[in-house]
Amino acid sequence: MITTRFPLRFIALGAVAVSLLAVPAALADDLTDIGYVDQSQLSSLPAFVAADRQLQTYGTNLQRDYIGRARGASQAQQQQLAQQFQAQIADKQREVLGPLFHKAQVAIASVASSKNLSIVIDKRIIIYGGQDITGSVRDLLTGIGDPVPPVNTPPPSTIGYVDQAQIDALPAVRSAADDFGKFKADEDRQTAAKLRGAKTDSDRNAILKDYQTQLQTKQTATIKPLLDKTKNAMADVAHKRNLVLVVDRSNVIYGGTDITADVTAELK
Amino acid sequence: MRVLLAAATCVVLASCAHAAATAPAPSPAANGLVGYVRMDDLVKKHPLYDQLAQYDTNIEALDLTAFAPHALAAGPELAREEAALNAQLDAAAKRTNDLLNAKGRDFQAREDAAIAAALRSAALPDGPSVAQVRAQLEATASGQTADVNAQAQRDLDAYRKQLEAQDVAQIDAAQRVLAARADRTYRARAEELTAKEAAYSLTLANADAAQRLTLRTRLTSLALDDDQRDEANKALAALDQKEADQLAAMRNTDQQTLAALKQQLRDQIAVDMRAEVGPIRQRSVQRFGERERELHDQFAAHGAPVTGGGPPLLASNPNLPPDLRKRILALHADYLAAFHADAKSTIDDFTKTRADLAHRYAVLTGTDQSATQSAQAEIVSLQKKRADLYAEMVAQIGREVKTIAQQRGISVVVSDVAAPAGGVDLTDDAMKDIETLHE
Repeated sequence: MITTRFPLRFIALGAVAVSLLAVPAALADDLTDIGYVDQSQLSSLPAFVAADRQLQTYGTNLQRDYIGRARGASQAQQQQLAQQFQAQIADKQREVLGPLFHKAQVAIASVASSKNLSIVIDKRIIIYGGQDITGSVRDLLTGIGDPVPPVNTPPPSTIGYVDQAQIDALPAVRSAADDFGKFKADEDRQTAAKLRGAKTDSDRNAILKDYQTQLQTKQTATIKPLLDKTKNAMADVAHKRNLVLVVDRSNVIYGGTDITADVTAELK
Repeated sequence: MRVLLAAATCVVLASCAHAAATAPAPSPAANGLVGYVRMDDLVKKHPLYDQLAQYDTNIEALDLTAFAPHALAAGPELAREEAALNAQLDAAAKRTNDLLNAKGRDFQAREDAAIAAALRSAALPDGPSVAQVRAQLEATASGQTADVNAQAQRDLDAYRKQLEAQDVAQIDAAQRVLAARADRTYRARAEELTAKEAAYSLTLANADAAQRLTLRTRLTSLALDDDQRDEANKALAALDQKEADQLAAMRNTDQQTLAALKQQLRDQIAVDMRAEVGPIRQRSVQRFGERERELHDQFAAHGAPVTGGGPPLLASNPNLPPDLRKRILALHADYLAAFHADAKSTIDDFTKTRADLAHRYAVLTGTDQSATQSAQAEIVSLQKKRADLYAEMVAQIGREVKTIAQQRGISVVVSDVAAPAGGVDLTDDAMKDIETLHE
């Protein structure tokens, strides 16, 4: 059975705020269908900590092994070894964390469904309001037995999201990012050389200021127009679909309205 | 690894949302008003933004100088220098060896000629005496030794220049390491003081927050007459002034502390440099002296031919006078031994020098690596301080936003919005409040 814990404490705090400020509108707190989860709290659960420790040990041993193999290897071989190392670490992460994440996903979906939430987002981007379901999810994860997936899909949400990785993969965006990346690498080299020759703090600050200005100027010329265009496309799609906000996919944990396809279509 | 786990948690948990997110049009009635703020813009208006930017600048500077691709090239550069120096030393060794070989061949021919003359003088009454033969040999050997000494002097000069260049490189490297260490010490102290100032500033702001909020609520929410408004404004200004004065006093003390530390670090660099430079110079002078003595011993002491074809001739001429035989044998034995010793010691010397140089460059490279590791630790420390300060700033901004949201009846406020649509933008209102925080 799924247990939920309604945040009475939160309502109590809200009531105090209301009485202090005498603003009745604050009662709207907690009444939305937007929930949030503090993922740092979930990652401190014993199961996640144990998995973390297991991964750390594995990573340390694997790193030692690869360092030994990389010694005396050519640059190309070292690059290949580094790729193999990353792939092995990723495989292990999937193996160790995969079942835990699946369980957490089911728990979040279950709690969200029971509270009729249309979206659950990461606590990091919540400034005020929303329903904190972290406690309920933690109870489900630490309770006896596995959480049961909800029968219903999430209700429609007025919060949309985009997968920024897909937007970044569009040819125009990728080309601009590559261009900026090369420019930054050159600037990094030149600035590092200048910094080594700096004699005083003011020299150093002037060099860094110039570096930042150069990057800013380049960014404004190459990246910003695309960012603006993307933002406008998102806003257009959001209006057409009656959404109030669009956030990045990485901040959405459950539910929400995916508008990535519409945005990429508009950008092409 | 913990960061990886946290990041992976975010990404994987986030990915679970989206399979079930194929929904029909949303019902706006399900939501209260949703607002948003542009957190980056608000952070830039926060009174502590300068400190945050200073952290960013310091992290950027350390990152650029410690980990930029060209900085990593310091190792290969040193290796190239080492290889070039080794090539020079190899060439000098070969040149010396070739010279000694040529000298050996030359002396063999001259010794053969001298012995032939000695044999003729023994048979003919008016031929040269053994003493004359010896004098001729010594005169020839003297000319050859002068050639060898001149070449040795050239090698010695080249060696001295190499030592000088090494000294300059080592002193420069030592100076850079000491200056970087002092710089890090100074910055760490400056950042520590800045962090304390930031914390103190926040403490002051938080201590007065309730009073400030009451005054601002009065100013914005209540109908006040001019006197009451003036009084509230004065009270707000007095609060700001009190905080500014307390903070300024702390900053003055900190500036004095930093100035004293800077002087102390300068003095320490001077002391450390003297300690570094002395042994470097002393080592080079000692090595140059050793090399000079060795060359002197090798070439100046041997003022006679090195080797020759004496034994075969003696073997084929058993009737030579005993004195002449004895002299020829003695000359041959002496200069043959000197020749071998000379060649061997020259090559050994260069091999030893090469090994010593490789070791010294390895030490230099090791110094650079430890500097890089130290910079990395510094970056981690700065990033932690930066994250703590950022969290405090965001928390304070959050409190301001919460007040505004409550006043305007907004149910949920989020930050980091990819694109706004129908949400209420609270950024400007929040910005005004944040700007008045530390006026």
